[in-house]
Amino acid sequence: MELLRNNATASSTYTEFNTAAAVRDLRLKYPETDSFVFKDLSFSVRRGERLLLLGPSGSGKSTLLQVLAGIIPGLVEVPMRSSEQVIPPSWGMLFQDPDTQFCMPFVDEELAFVLENRGIPREEMRPRMVDALEQVGLHLPEIHLPIDSLSQGMKQRLALASILLMDPEVLLLDEPSALLDPEGRRQIWEAVSRVAEGRTLIIVEHRIEEVLDLGLVDRVALFGPQGQLLGQGAPEELFVRCQTELEEYGIWHPGVWDRFRASEGQAQEAEKGIMPWANPTRLTDGEPLLRPVIELSEFQGFRGDRTVIQIERAEVYPGDFIAVTGPNGAGKSSLLLALMGLLPSEGSYLLCGERFGGKKTRTRQILALSKKIGFVFQNPEFQFVENRVDREIGFSLIEEGFSSDEIQRRVDHALDQFGLVGLELRHPYQLSLGQKRRLSVAGAAVMERPVLLLDEPTFGQDAVNTFAILNLCEEMRRRGTAVVMVTHEEQIAEAVATRRWEVREGTLTDCGYTNRGSSLPHKVCETGAVEVLL
Amino acid sequence: MKKWLNPSFTTWMHRANPVLKLVLVILLFFVALFTHRLDFMFYQAVMFTLLLFWQSGYAFWKVLLIVLSFGLVFISSSSTMILFGKGDEMWWEWGLIRITEESFYRGIHIGFKSVTFASEGLLFVLTTSSVDLFYALMQKVKLPPKYAYSFMASIRLLPMVWEEFLIRRNALRIRGARSLKGPRGWFAGIKMYAVPLLSQSIRRAHRVAVAMEAKAFNGNGRRSYYYPSLFTRYDPLAAAVFAAAVVLALMLSDVFPLFHIADVRYSANP
Repeated sequence: MELLRNNATASSTYTEFNTAAAVRDLRLKYPETDSFVFKDLSFSVRRGERLLLLGPSGSGKSTLLQVLAGIIPGLVEVPMRSSEQVIPPSWGMLFQDPDTQFCMPFVDEELAFVLENRGIPREEMRPRMVDALEQVGLHLPEIHLPIDSLSQGMKQRLALASILLMDPEVLLLDEPSALLDPEGRRQIWEAVSRVAEGRTLIIVEHRIEEVLDLGLVDRVALFGPQGQLLGQGAPEELFVRCQTELEEYGIWHPGVWDRFRASEGQAQEAEKGIMPWANPTRLTDGEPLLRPVIELSEFQGFRGDRTVIQIERAEVYPGDFIAVTGPNGAGKSSLLLALMGLLPSEGSYLLCGERFGGKKTRTRQILALSKKIGFVFQNPEFQFVENRVDREIGFSLIEEGFSSDEIQRRVDHALDQFGLVGLELRHPYQLSLGQKRRLSVAGAAVMERPVLLLDEPTFGQDAVNTFAILNLCEEMRRRGTAVVMVTHEEQIAEAVATRRWEVREGTLTDCGYTNRGSSLPHKVCETGAVEVLL
Repeated sequence: MKKWLNPSFTTWMHRANPVLKLVLVILLFFVALFTHRLDFMFYQAVMFTLLLFWQSGYAFWKVLLIVLSFGLVFISSSSTMILFGKGDEMWWEWGLIRITEESFYRGIHIGFKSVTFASEGLLFVLTTSSVDLFYALMQKVKLPPKYAYSFMASIRLLPMVWEEFLIRRNALRIRGARSLKGPRGWFAGIKMYAVPLLSQSIRRAHRVAVAMEAKAFNGNGRRSYYYPSLFTRYDPLAAAVFAAAVVLALMLSDVFPLFHIADVRYSANP
């Protein structure tokens, strides 16, 4: 770091021809916070360079991106100071959330917005729009199409197309694939690699498999949690040199999943023989020895008159870790909502032997279901009901009428288990992204219900938090909870889950065992029942 | 729901310039405002309701559904005047309630006035898309683009807020969050929804604003327009139809007067 700064000081200014963007001696602090996001950071990007900014959540990568583009302090006022700032003459930025980059309702109107801003004559607009859509590989039947009818991945490519219309010299990408499914993720990065020709590229991204596979970057800059520059260099070289830092700060990098699996494997090794995991299909012939917690047959869930999820036959057993996968909009979330009684349904739905479901979504039934099922929403903020972390965890316990000693004991345990100690008195909204996520799982898990449903809990999380959540789910699974998790993460589906439910176009098409599921040991009691250690 | 709100066919009222339509409708508001003759008011309400069926571009039954709700508008706006208005020719009296002949006619006059306002306003809203309106306002009356685009962007955000409201409702149902009875419970209930929805919306609005400015939108610079806002032959046509509706209402009130009241306003010395 010291060396880098000295280098920067040595060349007295950045006004050389080949600097695309730079900042020197940057000090930046968000109002009402105690610590600097950056303290005396100097950073520059050469023209034509392809750069990846890497670091744990909250290390200020996105902030730096906005400083390099001049959004800070130009458009967003954040107290900052620098001795020099070089802003690219023309730039375009692609943001994370596909839904908050558009101001117009139709594809052509949105593209026109950029051209209008530049004062391009009306006659030239259409050919330019068509050309931009072509470049990002977005082939639409016509360009006057409602943006809402596009998938998230298509929206993100549309956002890229609209940026291309500014003819930017520098492309800044702020986690553009974080909220996309694997298909959308692949397509956006392919589009980026197509249009990157002749441009400077500055990327902030957690999930970097595609970025590296496509060879999109030639330099990686690694930041620490306090915004300090830990190191930079060519990708292959940096990932080897900074292995310890990558591990320590839980940053996504190639091989991170192997490490996770290895630690998992050790844990498995240690507990071999006492795995409380049941696979009744592989038990002795005759009656299944363990009763499923959930049994579905000829089950259908509806939104309005439309069937959004259809399941011919499926069971969930205690100790299952089911990954529900499939493209965006296939009906994965609807499946969870239908199981929770939030969508009207038809067919047979047995939960712990009790019959549920029906054409009406009755509040009483939802309450009865929520006594047996914990539910974690995709956006944690929507499920918070209390204004303090400890009360938020204890909320359901109070509702259930536990003694205050018991509540205290369980809340303390959960705070410890979910890494929230010291934050008891905070408002849930004041937590970081990862803490919010863990709190939302804690609130649903503290009751130790037989089933836990989670809707994409690892979305947009860094590696540390992803693994923390997975470990917590795994721990609950071992105690006999049936975990059902909607996920886009291929690695979770294959290596962490024991079973995989594949949903395609509103139908559950496959519910087989994963590699892990079929290789796990299980234990049958002498009585013939599968032992579940609670 | 969105589909439901799209017109099923376009009439030439849709093609008239939104700015001109806006001016015309405001003029019509004033005509209705200064009408004191009950028959004329009644026929205006009839004419513009008919125009709604003819020109709105929505299926008959949808317009009928809207027009049926006019009944509610009529009753709510006329009842106060009918029940409590001044008058000398007493029909019925009970405590504070005094229904007189004058107050009754003045009441239904106000009722027809509201129905006229409602159908004129709806005629404008149902035949004008927000995008067309703001493009026309920017080009014809020089509305600063920063206001126009802020409005258009915020319209896009509304359905997202609705969706989040549904998610929040589901979450509260699952968690079994019960609110207390009475005003305090009511306040707590509002807070349960307002805090997450507002915090999401404010963050989202901020992100949209940054994204817009990042696309070289500086609010008031020189710009070109994707949709030209032109005056066409549909504009005089729209003006003519509106004028004809008013004239026809006036003529009908002369030829087939129903109420024979020249001025509904109360005057103590007739």
